[in-house]
This record gives sequence, structure tokens and C-alpha cells, in this order.
Amino acid sequence: MLKEIINLTLLQHTIRTATPLILAALGGLLTQHAGILNIGMEGMILMGAFFAIVGSYFFSSSLAGVLMAVGVGILVGLLFAYFVIDLKSDEFIIGIAINILAGGLTVFLLRSIFGVKGAFSSPDIVPLPRFRLGFLEGIPLLDTIFNNHTVFVYVSWILVALVYVYLYKTPYGIWLRASGEFPEALETAGVSPRKMKYISSIACGVFCGFAGAHLSLGYLTLFTENMSAQRGFIAMAAIIFGGAHPIRTLIAAFMFGFFDALGIRLQVVGIPSQFTQMIPYLGTIVVLFVVAKSYIRKIKKNVEGES
Amino acid sequence: MKKLKNAEYLISLFLSILASLIIGAFIMLANGRNPVTGYVALINGAFGSKYNIATTFAKTVPLVLTGLATSISFRSGISNIGGEGQLYLGAFGAALIGITFVNLPGIVGIPLALAASLIAGGLYALFPAILKVRYNIDEVIVTIMLNTVAVLLTSYLVNYPFASEIGKMGGTEIIAEGYQLSRLVRLSTLNTSIFYVAVISIIMYYLLERTSIGYEIKMVGQNSNFSRYGGINVKRRMIFAMVVSGALCGIAGAFEVLGVHYRFLQHISPGYAWDGMLIALIVKNNPIGVVLMSIFFGALKTGSISMENATGIPSELISVIQSIIILFIAGESGFKAKIKSFLANRRAIKKAGEKNA
Amino acid sequence: MAEKLIELKEITKQFPGVLANDRVSLDIEKGEIHAIIGENGAGKSTLMKILYGLYQPTSGEIYFKGKPVSIKTPLDAIKLGIGMVHQHFMLVPSFTVAENIVLGVEPRKNRFMMDYRKAVSITEKLSKTYGLKVDPNAKVESLSVGIQQRIEILKVLNKGADIIILDEPTAVLTPQETEELFKVIRKLVEELGKTVIIITHKLQEVLALSDRVSVMRQGRLVGTLKTKDATEQILAEMMVGREVLFEELNRIEVPREEVLTVKGIKARDNRGLMALKGVSFSLYSGEILGIAGVEGNGQSELVEVLTGLRQAEEGSVMIKGIEATNKEPMEIRNLGVSHIPEDRLATGLSKKATITENMILGYHNREPYATKGIHMNKKPIRERVSRLIKEFDVRTPSQDVTADKLSGGNMQKMVIAREFSFDSSILIVAQPTRGVDIGAIEFIHKEIIKKRNEGAAILLVSADLDEIFRLSDRIITIYEGEITGEFKRKEISKKEIGLYMTGKRKGMRQGGVQDEEIKKC
Repeated sequence: MLKEIINLTLLQHTIRTATPLILAALGGLLTQHAGILNIGMEGMILMGAFFAIVGSYFFSSSLAGVLMAVGVGILVGLLFAYFVIDLKSDEFIIGIAINILAGGLTVFLLRSIFGVKGAFSSPDIVPLPRFRLGFLEGIPLLDTIFNNHTVFVYVSWILVALVYVYLYKTPYGIWLRASGEFPEALETAGVSPRKMKYISSIACGVFCGFAGAHLSLGYLTLFTENMSAQRGFIAMAAIIFGGAHPIRTLIAAFMFGFFDALGIRLQVVGIPSQFTQMIPYLGTIVVLFVVAKSYIRKIKKNVEGES
Repeated sequence: MKKLKNAEYLISLFLSILASLIIGAFIMLANGRNPVTGYVALINGAFGSKYNIATTFAKTVPLVLTGLATSISFRSGISNIGGEGQLYLGAFGAALIGITFVNLPGIVGIPLALAASLIAGGLYALFPAILKVRYNIDEVIVTIMLNTVAVLLTSYLVNYPFASEIGKMGGTEIIAEGYQLSRLVRLSTLNTSIFYVAVISIIMYYLLERTSIGYEIKMVGQNSNFSRYGGINVKRRMIFAMVVSGALCGIAGAFEVLGVHYRFLQHISPGYAWDGMLIALIVKNNPIGVVLMSIFFGALKTGSISMENATGIPSELISVIQSIIILFIAGESGFKAKIKSFLANRRAIKKAGEKNA
Repeated sequence: MAEKLIELKEITKQFPGVLANDRVSLDIEKGEIHAIIGENGAGKSTLMKILYGLYQPTSGEIYFKGKPVSIKTPLDAIKLGIGMVHQHFMLVPSFTVAENIVLGVEPRKNRFMMDYRKAVSITEKLSKTYGLKVDPNAKVESLSVGIQQRIEILKVLNKGADIIILDEPTAVLTPQETEELFKVIRKLVEELGKTVIIITHKLQEVLALSDRVSVMRQGRLVGTLKTKDATEQILAEMMVGREVLFEELNRIEVPREEVLTVKGIKARDNRGLMALKGVSFSLYSGEILGIAGVEGNGQSELVEVLTGLRQAEEGSVMIKGIEATNKEPMEIRNLGVSHIPEDRLATGLSKKATITENMILGYHNREPYATKGIHMNKKPIRERVSRLIKEFDVRTPSQDVTADKLSGGNMQKMVIAREFSFDSSILIVAQPTRGVDIGAIEFIHKEIIKKRNEGAAILLVSADLDEIFRLSDRIITIYEGEITGEFKRKEISKKEIGLYMTGKRKGMRQGGVQDEEIKKC
């Protein structure tokens, strides 16, 4: 039975499952660097998933679905940014409002547009294309694990690299980080922190749109109510785990994707999956604790260094 | 002066609700429905009959409790976002007592079950409180994480060790009769828990507004340096607020079990704690406001179902309207500030112009 | 005739409720060191922030080299060659020195990528040219305040600044660092042809460094003079608006007993560095003991240790013979200690709370204000607050107003009303008249003397030497966490005490102990 659970396809599924987490976490990571904690990613992903289906269904193209998801993501990102940055509202409240709005709006539209409850699927929805990487075919392990994934799987890795370079090797990323850590310094240097924060928020909306599109158009072309299934919060956990660093966050997202995929398998076999599902959440608390303790230790070291 | 500020805020609140209802009307129009019939059905559904009023107030119960829970925590400056998790644990705790100590008379059993839920919720909130107060670990993230942990844990408990004999329904057995709170109106879920909640609301009001403990909580939330300097034990107060907050959410869960479902179900809360949090934020943590706004939200929820039955408008529209109200309220101080500075600038330019002339 | 680089004409800036600048006109000449002085809230910072594009004037014009210009953002100011070094440093702590210096104008490898190596070499070049040593790769968070200021100056020079505005540059520096800074400023002006505007409220520095000085008061420009024509007295009077003659306060002889004994207190500051290195002194009833010292020499930490807000690592504090070291603030208050904190907004009050709520703190669980310590009784609370408001002349329309609506002086009077009403035997008073208007200052000083005459023991910490001299019976000086001198008020002059405050001399006057002259390192 163990072979049923732990095998190569588990790793393949891990990659699939980690993808929306990676995408959302990248978006949340950017806003985090800009000093904004976005709890609304859950809602943003849900909206992305829904509008991707809408676009793909009505325009018979997965690209249309993605564009629609992205478009809505930009709008939500702008909304979030306007309230949190310009109106100085509490980012938690706006995040929670977006989650509730997304939950209600997607179900409402599911019923008004498609006339169904619970879930919607149709053969007319065009799924995302898969990629066959020629150079992997024939290589036993790698082919099973890394080949034949839908487009966003590969896109997410490219984005991780791009975000890394952006944050640490370009002036724009430096400005973004400064806008969160010390906006006044950026302002007096002649760059608008407000602009950078807006950019981060819109980017988060776009990335969450990608994540949603991957969910609903990636494998089964299907939208179900509450489809985001806590992924927004797991993405948050991944960001904290990874200290908002793109590579470390990627690793955390893979880890969490692994436990998620594992959980599904366990359920199929009848073993309670709840405990493996808990791991990302408990793990995050442990990380926070470890970081806090090491911070205290660092201060003590400073102190001892003096005397 | 404070009264004036309150009046100003009530007006903003009223305008926000009005604006959201108007937007809701537009959404209905866009879907080819008549907003007037929609809203009439909504009001009817909430207050139109004895059954409807009863259901409205039944829905108010968990909202008031979680709203008060959020109020006390936010007042003290420590944000308890873990209400859902505390609710679930409290619900399970009450159910556990109700299916284990089956021979206890109600007069002993019910308080016991409530105590269990109180302790479960309180302890679950104590943990993040200590992390915050001792290690300065951000309680927002911790409590959000703990939510899912609690839901998963109870889901496991209720699908495996404590699963009902009836089969995979994701629930425990029915609790013993002695624990079941009697219904007040036939066929509705309104039960005697509403009396308990009324008492709890009065106690919370008194605690927050009339006691030195409430005063200290308020000061700690406004300026913890000031509080410490003035001799308040800041850490103790924050922990106290958090534990009470968790306990109230636990009790909310208990009433769902003891009064509504008579068993623990793995999806027992459709997000009551989030709603409660929003209510507290809208009324700025005022206990009386929590009660009133909970009735309003309860009415919206109940009415929306009738509205759907009568006009076909999906009841989820209410969630949309709710979140728009939140957005307006959250942005209220920002809007006001922008308008004020715009007017002040205009006035100053006029003045300077007059002087130079 | 020196070229007028900048002319500010009739600059007015209105904030909600505050007229920060009122038709200010002044000019800056090329190659001068121009000081702008005034008390807190005089509008000097606001004026310069307008020049630097951080604020927009409500009305008025700015001329640069004779032509009118519009400075809408710091970018515009930077383009004109104006740079500003802020009082609170604008450095991103986790970034390196090089990253901070080139922030906003990063050198690029191509359109998108930053050239970090070039940033380092730019930093090294600047460091050499201007003689300000910095390590380009060090993270700012690990550097001392003096070095951070150097980075701020290099930042400004990197942007090609010819006119450098310094906002209260010496507020956070030690005396040595201040000397270094003055050398740098002189070099910038004399050797490198820069123009420097320095905002400060320290008259000594103005006289030592500047060529011309402009005095501002309550948003208006009082006048501009050549520094060689100015004296401390003239400047002080211009800053304050009337002849600054402090009347002698009425003192009564009061029986003295030792109420506070401090022995060998060692404590660290928030950065983990030793702020107090073994402080000992005694405080007696019926006296005011003033602690004189440049801010940042351990006074704040000392006050926090005495009031239970900071841990002492070593040493002891005894209040009337009772052990009070490292006790909680509540316990220390119960021993009869009241505290006027140096930062009233951060520690002394709650802005969003009403005056009533602010003034009942400390009494809120005592009879008759709270029955059995729990149930608060509105009537006695309101009566008490109402009485105190009258007694201490707190100007407010009602006690239900939130504290943030009060002026600085009235806020301070409210804090004092509360703290002085506890009937405490020991009052620890830090910066009691900071940011307070003249009328309130008089009132507060009289109240302090009144308490002294009633037998209270008062520890006064103030950066204002005039206040120290006016109020204290005895004065001790503190420098780098150590007590350097102890004197009776009449025995020492302001000039001499400066030497003890800056560590150049050490020793006690009482008991005839010889002074040691400490050689400058």
C-alpha cells in the first residue's frame, strides 16, 4: 500500500499542486516587501479561478480565460491598493472583505450566469495547454515528474527567477523593498513609495489570477464553490516560511504542495489526511517561534559582545 | 465632543449601508431582476412573520458572541483572528460532554458543556496570546494558521474516533436530551440560547464600559506605553482579553451544538467568526453596536433566503452587499481625511489670496 | 556682493488647524553657512521641506538664481542642486551603505539591472573626495549614529548637491561627533564651494559656525542678521519674543530627609549598549535636583530605571529605605513616586482617550473612584477631573474632549495635573516644558516649586540649562552614563557646567574635592 501512496506520480502531483501556491506566494511576497500583508489572496485566487472559466467558456480559448482572470486580478489589486494605500484603511479588514466579496460574488455569478449551484463544468471550456518538453522525453525519472505539465507550472518557475532578479538585482526591486522597509527614505530620494506599493498590489492580483486560472483551467476544467480551498492562506504560510525570499518561498511552496498531494492520496486509501494537511500551518507557527527566539538571541549576543 | 464624533460616524455608517444597498440594487438590475421586489422580499423574509423574526434572531446568536469576542480583543490591541478555530473547538467540546455524560440532568449538563466550550476556546486563544506577549510573535498570522488546524483536528475527530454510528456524515452522535436547548418557536432554530446571549451581552457591556478592567483594556489598546507607565499590567490585560475572546467564540460554537444541530458537524460554522469580526470592525468595537449590527446582519441573512425563494435572486448577493459595506466603512476615515484636507487647502488658498490682494 | 542663490518670497503653509509658515521671505547667498533658528514648532523644518519639495507652499514663490522655480517633489529640488539631510535619518537599515547612497539614482548595467560594483566605487570616490570615511558594504543597521549621518551627507553630495540643508544635525551627536561635523561643514563651504543651510535651536552652535542667521517664531520670520552682529541674548529674545528675564522663584526652607538612594546603577539602552555605567546619587525631600547633560548621555535611561520602565543590570534603588530596584511601575508608584515622562505623546497620555480617561489613570481602581476596585463611579471621577482641570489651568472646552485636540502646553499641563495630584513624595520630571508655550512654562515652573516647598523631592531632567538653573537647588551633570559633577546651584556658572556636561572636567565641588581636568582624547 505504501507504494500506492509514495511513488513518482506523487512528485508529479506535488509540482502541480505547488504551482498555484508558488504563484500566489510570489504575489504576496511582493506586497510583503512593500510593507503590506495581504490576507485577501484567498479571495483573489477564487476570483481568478472563476473568471478564467468565464473567459474560456465564452470566448472558447484558454488565453481569453487567463486574460480575464488577470484583468479581474488587476481590478481587485487596484481596489485593495486604493483602500489600503490611499485611504489608509486597515489591510486586514480589506483583505477579509475581499475574501467575503469573492466568496459571495463567485457563487452569485455562478448562478446568474451559468444557472448552476455548487460547481460548473462544460466541454466548451478550453483548458490550458500542456507542454511536452522534448529534451525530457526518454529520461525515466525526470520525464514522469517534470514533463507534460500545463503552462503555468513552467511559467511559475520562470516567474520565481524573474522576481528574484527583480528584487535583488534591479533598482526597481530595491525601490520596492525600500517602500516597505522605510518609505520616507525612498520618498526623499525622489521615488514615490506609493507608486511601488500600487505596483506590488497589482502584481499580486495578476499572480493570483494566474493561480486561479491554473486551478480551474489546468487539469479538470471546472469551477467549484470555495475552490481556492485555503490556498491563499497556505501561500501566506509559504511566504513566512521563506522569509519573503523568492527561492526559499519556492521551496516552502513545494513542501506544502507535497503535503497537500500526499493528503489527497491518504484520503483515497482511507487514512486520515488531516494531520498531514495541518503541517503547513503548524510548521509556520514553529518557524515564527524559531525566528523570534533567534532574534532574541541576536540581541543578547550584541549585548554580550559589548561587555 | 465624543457625542458629536459618534453622530458623525453613525451618519457615515448609514450612508455606507445606503450606498451598498444601492449598488446591490444595480447588481439586481444587471441580472434582470427588480430591486424593489427584491428588497421588499428581503425585509419580509427577515421580519414578516413570527417564524421569520425567530429565524432572524436565531442567526443573531453566533454573530453577537463572535462580535463581542472580536471587540474585546481588538480593544486591547491584540487581534484575535482565530475565532473560527476557537468556535470549532468550543463546539466540539460541548458535543463531547453531551455525548459522554449522557445521564446528567440539563441543569448540570448544560453549564458543564458550556464550561467545556469556554475552556476549549479560551485555552486555544491563550496559546497565541502568550506567543505574542512573551516573544512578540505576530498574533494575526498565528491565529489564522490555528484556525485551519482546529478545523482539521475536529474534522479528524468527527470522522474517525467520534464518528456517528450512522455512517460517514462528518458528525458526532446526537447529544443527550438533557443538553438540548429547547426551541422557542416551532420549526425555527431559535432556542433558549438567545437568553444566555442576552445575559452575556449585558455582562460584556458592563465589563467593557463600567469596570476598571474594561478601562485598562481600552488604555492598553490605545497606548500600551502609557498604560504600563501608569501602572497597568499590560501583559496580563492582553492575555485576559484574548482568553475571554476565545471563550466567547467557544461558547458560540457550543450554542450551535446545543441549540441548533444537537450534534457536532464538521462544517458547523459557515464563517460566523469572520462575520463577527466584520461586525465588530463596523461598529468600532462598541458592545451595543455589536448587538444592533448583529441583528441587522442576521436579518440580511434570513431575508436573503426568502428573497431568493420569492424572486430567484441568489442569496449570496447579501455577502456581496456585506463586503461592500465593509469597504465603505473601512475607507470612511480615509474619505473624510481627503475631503477635509481638500477643503482646508481651498480655504487657505482663499485666505492667502485675500491677504495678498 | 554675494550672489543670491535662493530667494523665498512670502512663503505661506497652512496645515489643518496650524499656520506653519506665515509669509516668510528670506534669501540664501552663495557660499554661506546660513543658520535658521527658532523654538520647536517655529516652522523652520516646514520651510526647508517646502524648499526641498516635500511640501507644497499654500502660497508664495521660490526663486533660484533669480528665476522663479516650481519645486513639486524632491526630484525637482535635487535637479536644482538642493539636498537635504534630515533630522531623522532616511537610511534603509537592511541595505548597505552603497545601496543607500545611490538610492533613486542607481548606476545601471543596462536598462534594468543595477551595477552594484559601480555603486561601491562611487561611494569610495565620494568618501575620498569629501573626507568622510565609510565602508560601502556595511549594512546601515550596524553603524553608529555619527557614521549614519556621514552617509546621509554623502548621499546628498552624490546627487550633485551644491546647497545642503541640515535639519537639527547635532541633536543626536556626541560632542566629539559634533566637532567632526563642524569640520566637515567648514570644509564643504571653504574648500569645495558649497552652500550650507543649518536648522537648529542651539544658539552656541549658531554663533560658532554660521555666517548669517535667520530667526523664526510661530511661523514668521523675525529677522536675519550677520552672525558677527548677534549674541546669545539677542537671538534668544528674537526667538522668544520678549525680554527673557526669569524672575526668581520663591523658595522656602524645608526639612530634608533622604528619600531616594541610587547606588551603582548600570543599564543598557535599546541598542544593547551601556547607557548607565554606575550612577549613584541621593535625593532629599524639599529639594529639586537637576540633572544637566546633553541629550543622549543616559538621562532617559536613568529615568526609566527609576520608574520601573527599564531593567537595571546592576546597582540598587531605594525609596525611603525600601528596595525598589527593577520593580514594576505600579509598585514604584505605590511607593509614592510620580513621573512626568519626557515624551508625553508616546508615554504620558493616550491621544484618542478623553481627558477624563487620561487623568484617571493611576486612580482608576482606587476608592472612591472604583468600588472594590472594579465598578467605576462616574460622579467622583468627573468631579476630580473637573477640579484638576481648574487647578492646573488646562484650557479645554470640556473634559470629554479627546486629548489630541489639546495644544502641546495644555497636554503637558494635563499630564502634570494628573501626576502632581497623587500627593507623591518623589516627583521625577523629565523635559517638563519641551514644546510648551511661554505662558504655560511659567505656570509649570511655579507648580514645581510649589511641590518642592510642600516637601516633595523632585528629580528634574532637562536639556534646557536655563530651566535647570532656574529651578534646581542642586545640580548633577551626566556624561556618557556617568555622573561627572555635583554642585549647589549658586556655586557654578552655565559656562563652567558645560565643561562637566561634555566630559571635559570631572569632579565634585562639594566637600572641596579637586577637579580633574580631563584631557581631550
